[in-house]
Amino acid sequence: MAINILIVDDSSVMRAMILKTMRMSGLPIGETYQAANGQEGLDALEQHWIDLAIVDINMPVMNGEEMIDRMQENPDTKDIPIVVISTEGSETRIERLQGKGASFIQKPFTPEIIRDTIMAITGIGESDE
Amino acid sequence: MNEQVKEILSRVAVETLEQLAFIFSSPEDGPGEIEYDSLMAASVSFAGPFAGGLVMTVSPQVVFELAANMLGVDNEETTLDQQYDALKESMNVICGNLLPAITGKQAVFNIGSPEIITGGEAIKEATEKYNGRSPTSMVRLDIDGEQCVLFLFGDIRITGE
Repeated sequence: MAINILIVDDSSVMRAMILKTMRMSGLPIGETYQAANGQEGLDALEQHWIDLAIVDINMPVMNGEEMIDRMQENPDTKDIPIVVISTEGSETRIERLQGKGASFIQKPFTPEIIRDTIMAITGIGESDE
Repeated sequence: MNEQVKEILSRVAVETLEQLAFIFSSPEDGPGEIEYDSLMAASVSFAGPFAGGLVMTVSPQVVFELAANMLGVDNEETTLDQQYDALKESMNVICGNLLPAITGKQAVFNIGSPEIITGGEAIKEATEKYNGRSPTSMVRLDIDGEQCVLFLFGDIRITGE
């Protein structure tokens, strides 16, 4: 089953790079949507069916952590799996994000890390093994 | 201590450029000449257990390659906006990996939004002083004969590694 993915990052180059890396890793990707900050991400969630949200943390307008909090307050979005892809290196902050149910990948990343993390959080591929 | 900071900055920058954009670089010794008028530059500030900034000056050829490799396209296919974006994101990733390498992973830093610096004089000024202080550390990288120089500012205290 192909999954619809929302990528939220203020860098358009990084969004393209994440998408390219996901395609390289062989994940079954359906529709993809992009947003440049947390507010645009929430808007996209209202407009489209999203199976997985990839979220950066440091962004203008609304950062990724606030976006995750808002997603979890909303019954329609609280169960959407979230992967944070960020430069964040503080274990204190990473543990806080993981406490909100998000998986974490530090930049720079490899296709294998993206594939394994997404497979683990979405359960994709489990039935194939 | 400055030598330790320099070693960490050098290692993090080399590893980040390689892992992020398949750009292979090697540290260079010596002062060398910096031709500010022909370079592109970006800066990023940070605050936490100590505050400071990181400035990177780099040959346009390296930025073209950075953007093209990150996007997976040919050099001539990237726009100036994408080149600036790639430079800023590279700075962001270098800074995000540098601070825990210096302070350990428990420390919490707030990293600002990277900014592009344009114009030789502005770039020169940005590499000389940050909040009135000279760089704590400077690292020069060779990338296929092209120049990349990083300047780290702030009251840097090594507590990690």
